[in-house]
This record gives sequence, structure tokens and C-alpha cells, in this order.
Amino acid sequence: MTARRCSHRARSIDRLAHVQASGHLEEQTPRTLLKNILLTAPESSILMPESVVKPVPAPQVVQASRRESGRGSLELQLPELEPPTTLAPGLLALGKRKQRLRLSVFQQGVDLGLPPSQEPHGNADASSLTSSLNLTFATPLQPQSVKRPGLARRPPTRRVVDVGTFLQDLRDTSLALAPPDTVLEDTQPFSQPLVGRSPSVHHSLPCPSYSAAKDVERAASRRTWSSGLGLQNNGAGKPAQLLAGKVEEVDALAMGFPNISSNISGEDGVEPLQNGAGEEAEERMEESLREVEKAAEAQGSARAEEPEGHIEVTEAEGSWGAVEAKEPAGSSGHEDTSGRTASPELASSTPEFLRARRLQFLEPAPPPSTAVLPSEPPEPLSARLPSKPRIPGSRPRQDPYKTGLNHYAKLFSFYAKMPMEKKAVEMVEKCLDKYFQHLCDDLEVFAAHAGRKTVRPEDLELLMRRQGLVTDQVSLHVLVERHLPLEYRQQLIPCAFSGNTVFPAQ
Amino acid sequence: MEEEKDAEEQQRLSYQQRLKAAVHYTVGCLCEEVALDKEMQFSKQTIAAISEVTFQQCENFAKDLEMFARHAKRSTINTEDVKLLARRSNSLLKYITEKNEDIAQFNLERKAKKKKKLEDENKNSMEPAEAGVVESEN
Repeated sequence: MTARRCSHRARSIDRLAHVQASGHLEEQTPRTLLKNILLTAPESSILMPESVVKPVPAPQVVQASRRESGRGSLELQLPELEPPTTLAPGLLALGKRKQRLRLSVFQQGVDLGLPPSQEPHGNADASSLTSSLNLTFATPLQPQSVKRPGLARRPPTRRVVDVGTFLQDLRDTSLALAPPDTVLEDTQPFSQPLVGRSPSVHHSLPCPSYSAAKDVERAASRRTWSSGLGLQNNGAGKPAQLLAGKVEEVDALAMGFPNISSNISGEDGVEPLQNGAGEEAEERMEESLREVEKAAEAQGSARAEEPEGHIEVTEAEGSWGAVEAKEPAGSSGHEDTSGRTASPELASSTPEFLRARRLQFLEPAPPPSTAVLPSEPPEPLSARLPSKPRIPGSRPRQDPYKTGLNHYAKLFSFYAKMPMEKKAVEMVEKCLDKYFQHLCDDLEVFAAHAGRKTVRPEDLELLMRRQGLVTDQVSLHVLVERHLPLEYRQQLIPCAFSGNTVFPAQ
Repeated sequence: MEEEKDAEEQQRLSYQQRLKAAVHYTVGCLCEEVALDKEMQFSKQTIAAISEVTFQQCENFAKDLEMFARHAKRSTINTEDVKLLARRSNSLLKYITEKNEDIAQFNLERKAKKKKKLEDENKNSMEPAEAGVVESEN
């Protein structure tokens, strides 16, 4: 009878602890208890001669042994973590469990006041058991929040892949999803090899090829970009830019490479830098190098050829580390960074998380480059500007607004299954621009019509109704289910979860 | 039951046809006026096409108006809804807003007149009443 009471109390304590710890996820049945134990048990041999492990009595014994230690702590009137540590180190691995333990231990202590005589049989067994088994009562840590039990079964490793594909997606699509007005100082190119070339040259897609050195230069040079300076190349004297943003940068890159190669004795310095070169970088570098060679001076052309040879090297992701190592060496020789002003479009287009990455790389580098940069006089740059023929001079103006549409224009050309003229693509972009403007005007008017200043999903639903997508037969939720991926669907369609919660809240 | 539904349907259809006929007639009249004005004739097919389009657009407008009113959490269609509907074409929007202002003004004037009348009547009725009260107090 006492044993039963003992076990009952143990179970109730457990239940309390579990309820507080795990939220209201599971009922505390022996089956679930055992499951939790099995999930959280450390990797040790469970088979021991003395411990004939009956699933039900074993936890109770463990509980009892914990109680024993808890008794010691009862005198302190405060639950201490140490006694439990000796028992179940695995428990304390997670901070959350500490609290659970405290509570359970405390309650054990409280409990112990009543039946001191209830020394559970086999205490010796218990201690040996615990030392050998280290069984815990903790529930296995839920990989996701309690609110989304359905997601708990998903492996957490998925996140890594998402970032990778996201990067690639960003690379493939046009960058400028961010407004061009925000001039980001420190942006980093993607570190992964490019899959597809972006057809538009003025795409300011950062390339992994840009070494950290370039980044440093770029970062410093961006600050001077407002003056709209071109590249400054000591030896070659080729005004690079004139092409919007990216080509500038590419030229800078090209210039930089010759510079580096000239300044660093070996061409080894150039290679790892260029090892990062993606295909896009190749394309643009070739273009810029061609332009460079047109206006070639002896030195410049000689240098230009060197990087061209290296361009063929396709990048490896791991080259980033090598780049970083070479970078301090390379930056000492740089001079031409003011031009590199990755255009604000480039800067703005890289999303924030890449910016964070760049910052890491840039930290070791800034000191040498900033020392170099201010020394560059702007005059020679402006002098060189007129000599280079300006290819679409109006591009920088249009770019900020159209780069976002490039993505859709490319989709369009893909679905057309036929090669498209550039003019056609531009026309498509124009139409898309007008369409989206119209759409947004409508949304604004709808919101104002309802006396609001913020556009809400109701406005969008009204818009889709007018478009004929949402009808009396087909509701918005149906469309969401049909076409959107699961993550968006979760955010849009309210769903009930455990504990009387609805997400998203209404 | 089904017979009732059928009968209803038929009624609706006939009603619809009558409406369509009315629209067709009105469109015809308008086209005649324009023809006289521009000295260009309209073929019958054109008039038919225009009237068909007009009818369908009317349906669309009605649905849109209802949606707009519901979007603004109202159960009556308002001039605001109409203006929202007409926002696409600038001239039409202007025209409608002007008309709206005219009507509003007219209403205001009416109200003002009514109020004045009421006030006068009240004053007339009030004064003798007050006089009576004063006298009684005294």
C-alpha cells in the first residue's frame, strides 16, 4: 500500500513537473513516461545484471532515489541543483530542465516531510540504477515551440538548406528587391557559385568572386560614391565605370586585379582572389576588360590579360577563407578603390543577412583600405570619365525602379519559350511597372475607402474579387491553399492549436 | 418545389430580357443622337453590341458597388462607393464629384430652409407660450 502511495505521489509530482515543463502536450501515462525516458536517456548500456528494468517500477525507483537526495536539501529550504546533478547529469544539460528539476525536487522535499518511513525498497538498487542508467523524467526537448505541435516532427536541419537555396534564388533573381535609396555600406557578395547568368549586364548582383579585398575597397569607396567617381587605376588609367553600378564594380575588380598582380610579386595573390569568381563575374569582367583593353595602355593591357587568364578559374566556395588570408596582402597594394563604388544599387540589393556576413569579413580589412582610400584624389577620376564612351547613361536612373521587375521579366521570357528581344523585355517591364502601380493605387484607395491608413488582407481580397480570382465559389483561403507554400499558408489561414490558441491571432 | 424554381427562373429570365430590351432601346436612342451630332451612322449590330456590353457592365457595377459597401462595413450603397467605382476614368470621376457636390448643396439648402421654417414656427409657438408662462408666474 505504501509502495502504491509512493508511486502515486511520484507520478503526481511528475505530472506537475511535466505539465509545467512541457506545457500541456502529453498525458502522463506510463507509456509516455517510458517513451520520454528512452528518448532522453544518455548513451549508456542499459543492461545491468541488478537492474531488471521493469518500465513502471524503474521510474519510481529513480524518483525515490531523487527524493533521497531531496531530503538532504530539504533542510536548506531551497532546492539545490547539486543533488540532482549527481543523479542525473543528463537532465541539467538543458537550462529549462533545471527549473523542472527544482520544482520536482522541492516537492519531493516537501513530500518527504510526511512519510519519512517510506524509504522505498531497494534504495541500494536505486542508487546503482541511477548511476548506471541515468534515467530522467524529463520530456524530450521539443524541437519547435509548443504552439506548433505539427511542426515538431520536422527535422531542424531543414533551416540550413533553406538559407542555401534562398541564396541561390537571390542570385538567380534580380537583386534589387530592396529600395535603391538605402545605401548600404557593407554588403558582401554571395559566397556560392552562380548557377545562371543574369542576362542584364546592369544587374548589380554581387558575385562571390569579389574578394574580401574588393569588399573592403567597395565599402570604403561607397562612401565616396556620391561624387560619382569612376575608377582610379594607378597604372592602367582606365576609367572603368560608366556602366551602371555593376560594371563599375567589375571594372574596379578588373582594375584591382591588375593592380594586385602588379603589386604583389606573385600572381598567387590574384588567383585566390579570383578563385571566387562566379560566372557572372566572368562575364562582366570580360566585358570590362574588353573595354579596358580598348583604351589600353601598355601596362594596363598587360595586367588586364593576367586576370583574364585567371577568370576561367571557377570558384570554389571554400576560397573565401583563402581570399581573406590574401586580402591584407592585397589591400596594401590597392589604390583604385574609390571608383569601386559598388553602386548603391548593388549595395542596396544585397539583403541584410548577407550584409552581416560581409561585416565579418570586412573587420580585419578596413584599417588598411581606409588608409589607402582617402589618399586618392578625385580629379584624375573625373578627368578620365569623358574619355570612356558611356553606354546607357540613363540606366542608373531607371535601374532602381526596374531592377525589381527584372525577375518577372525573366519569368516572362522563360515561359515564352522563345528568345526575346531586349526591347520586348523592356516593354514587358514597363507594362509590369504600370500594372503594379495600378494595383497598389487600388489597394491604397480601398484602404482609404474603409477609413484605414494601412492596407490589410481584406483590401487584397477585395482586389482579387474585382480581378475575378476570388468568387463566391472560390474563396481567398482556397486560393491560398492551392498556390502558396505551407509557410505562407500558416501565416494567412487561421488554424487552431492546442491550448485554445489560434494562429495567426484574429 | 422544382416547378416553383423553374417558374422563378423563367420569371427572372423574362425580367432580364425585358431589362435588356429597355437598355437596347435607350442605347439606340443615344446612338441616334450621336449619329446626328457627328453625322456618322450606326449599324444595328453596333447598337446591339453596345447594349449587350452596357448590360453586362451594369451587372458588374452592381456587384462591385455591393462589395465596396460591404468593404466599408455598410449595408447601403453610398456616393463614396460610386466614386470609387468611377475612379478609373478621370472625366467621369470629375463629373460625378461635381454632381455630388451639387446635390449635397441642394440638400443643405433644403435643410436650411426647412430648419428656418421650423424655427419660425417654434418661435411663434414659443413666444405666446413664454408670455403665458411669464404671466402665470407673475
